[in-house]
Amino acid sequence: MLETTELKKTFKNKVAVDNVNLYLEKGESVGLLGPNGAGKSTTISMISSLIKPTSGEVLWHGKSVVKNPNIIRDVLGVVPQEIAIYEELTAYENLQFFGRIYGLKGKALEQKIDETLKIVGLEDRKKDLVKTFSGGMKRRINIAVALLHEPEFIIMDEPTVGIDPQSRNYILEMVRKLNEEKGMTVLYTSHYMEEVERLCDRIYIMDHGKIIATGTKEELTSILSSEEKIVIELDRPYPNFVEKLEQNEKILQVSVSEKGIDLIVPKNSQLLGEIFHIAEKLDVQIVHVNVQVPTLEDVFLHLTGRNLRD
Amino acid sequence: MKNIFLLQWKRFRREPVLFFSIFGLTVLFVGLFGGFSQVDKVEVPTYFDPSVEGEKDVWLERLNEADTFEFIEKNQDSIIKDVALGYVNYGLEVSDDNYTLIVAAEHQELVLLDQFLKQMFTEEVRINTIASQIDNTEFRNDVLTALNEPPLTVEKTTMNNESRPSYDARLQALFGMTLFFAIYTVFYSLMNVAREKRTGTWNRIILSPVKKWQMYFGNMAYAFIIGFVQISLIFLLFKYMFNFPLGDSMIDILITVLCYCFAIVALGMLVLGLSKTVEHLSALVPIVAVSFAMLGGAFWPLEIVSNNILLMISKVIPVTYGMEALTNIALGGQNFIDVSSSLALLILLGVLFMGIGINLMERRA
Ligand SMILES: Nc1ncnc2c1ncn2[C@@H]1O[C@H](COP(=O)(O)OP(=O)(O)O)[C@@H](O)[C@H]1O
Ligand SMILES: [Mg+2]
Repeated sequence: MLETTELKKTFKNKVAVDNVNLYLEKGESVGLLGPNGAGKSTTISMISSLIKPTSGEVLWHGKSVVKNPNIIRDVLGVVPQEIAIYEELTAYENLQFFGRIYGLKGKALEQKIDETLKIVGLEDRKKDLVKTFSGGMKRRINIAVALLHEPEFIIMDEPTVGIDPQSRNYILEMVRKLNEEKGMTVLYTSHYMEEVERLCDRIYIMDHGKIIATGTKEELTSILSSEEKIVIELDRPYPNFVEKLEQNEKILQVSVSEKGIDLIVPKNSQLLGEIFHIAEKLDVQIVHVNVQVPTLEDVFLHLTGRNLRD
Repeated sequence: MKNIFLLQWKRFRREPVLFFSIFGLTVLFVGLFGGFSQVDKVEVPTYFDPSVEGEKDVWLERLNEADTFEFIEKNQDSIIKDVALGYVNYGLEVSDDNYTLIVAAEHQELVLLDQFLKQMFTEEVRINTIASQIDNTEFRNDVLTALNEPPLTVEKTTMNNESRPSYDARLQALFGMTLFFAIYTVFYSLMNVAREKRTGTWNRIILSPVKKWQMYFGNMAYAFIIGFVQISLIFLLFKYMFNFPLGDSMIDILITVLCYCFAIVALGMLVLGLSKTVEHLSALVPIVAVSFAMLGGAFWPLEIVSNNILLMISKVIPVTYGMEALTNIALGGQNFIDVSSSLALLILLGVLFMGIGINLMERRA
């Protein structure tokens, strides 16, 4: 249904998006995962025809969106990363305006507004000014505006940034329903791997403008299937312990975490004994040890050497 | 376009403070510079020499027949002190057949005062001289009666507008301040565009079936009308409440205001096009408003500007033509056809500014 080929965007000298190829089938829910500055928003802007690519194509049912933006605009809903609504107006007035510019009017418009407000759970706040809303409620009205004209394809750019866990949960559940019950095709970007893990059939991982990995969650984590993760909690930081572990050739990756140290080691390498031995020699107090299957976070770390969130 | 336009009013209804502040400021400044009521008479402290001690009251009465000055008796020392300290601009000393002005610095009313006194005294001296020669005490009275009921009167009228005044301090203040503050109203209204671009609602509308030109026109129409309403209301207020001499043809004045608002909206689009961010724009607005008002003669009449470079710059500034047309209509009794060259230039500048402005904006997008 949608496809990008060798999509590229350069701002002055900075390459923001570098030869991105991705596709979505009808009814799919696809995640675009990457840290801040990876180029997710820029990619979305090109897909939704807001900015022109430096090179490459966006194809909607095989036709060029770059040449004819209207073919995608009519069927597309975009939830921008920023809260793009009029804060000095009420929730209802916002939806009324955006409904009208899509040609809705009269009873049909009213009905549609009420329906949409119900989806985002704001029907009892519709008369209130948006500027009095909490962050989570603003995010929800931001989504509502994109749903008014019943798009068949919806793009969401980090729709849960900076809100409380309940609102976040509500939004994720809502997106799942839109996708599963209404058959909406969803492109969901985030830098939270739990979100895309939970929502998306397929995931693209993006970094520095490039797609560095793609597949289902299982396919992606299987990149690390021959490895496992050892999470060690310590009573305090021990730099010399980290140093010793890094010198050990059997340990693939050492990273200092909040509570201690995370290690990536080959599966079944039986390194635990060795690690305890080093700890004992250095007088290191180990509080807790946990051996885990790698997550998407670990995949990202493995691919880029960096954490998703910093 | 209708939806975009109506949206701006809905937003305005929620946050009208800025508009009313600017409106209030305009009224205040016109009042301060132009005066709400008729100009007060200027007080002139006057000292009478012992040689005229007896005729003091007669002198005062005769002096106070003046329209613009009010003569008040004071003693010599206090006058000299007050003038020296700058409490008053000048004082008057009257002696038998002569007068002296006590002055610390040149002042614009001085010429007028001197002229008035000179006329007064020559007349007085002439009458006195004749009276003493023909030795008739009744003579003065005869002369005065004759002057009041002359056997022959000569009236002077002029056929063209040449002799009409080309400057009126109250109108200068009214036109200048109103056109100046309207720039703010229009610019701040257009700032909605920049704010929408920042919050992202602009992009949302772009993705809707609304066309780009409708988005620009909806916003410009709003800024245009709000500017027009502000200027017109203030003109009407000062014409009917404070009796400012705006002339008889409000229609011609309003036509000029229409053209002016168009040019200013277009200028606003240019300023929008030149600024990268809302902060940048906020900084640019007062700079453009103040410098354009200055160069266009809103703060002082261009007639007193002699610098050729400044005069040349004033030719591309809409305020210049707005002031020119309004002054010619109000003071010169002209109509909008007489000032059509000014109006045409307003439209021309407007088209130019708007073209460049929208171009810059679209290139950045
Ligand atoms: N309009 C722009 N001008 C210059 N650089 C930009 C612009 N938009 C984005 N960038 C740069 O492109 C890179 C990718 O940005 P973005 O697509 O917003 O990333 P993400 O959405 O993944 O956080 C960033 O380094 C950003 O600074
Ligand atoms: Mg982004």
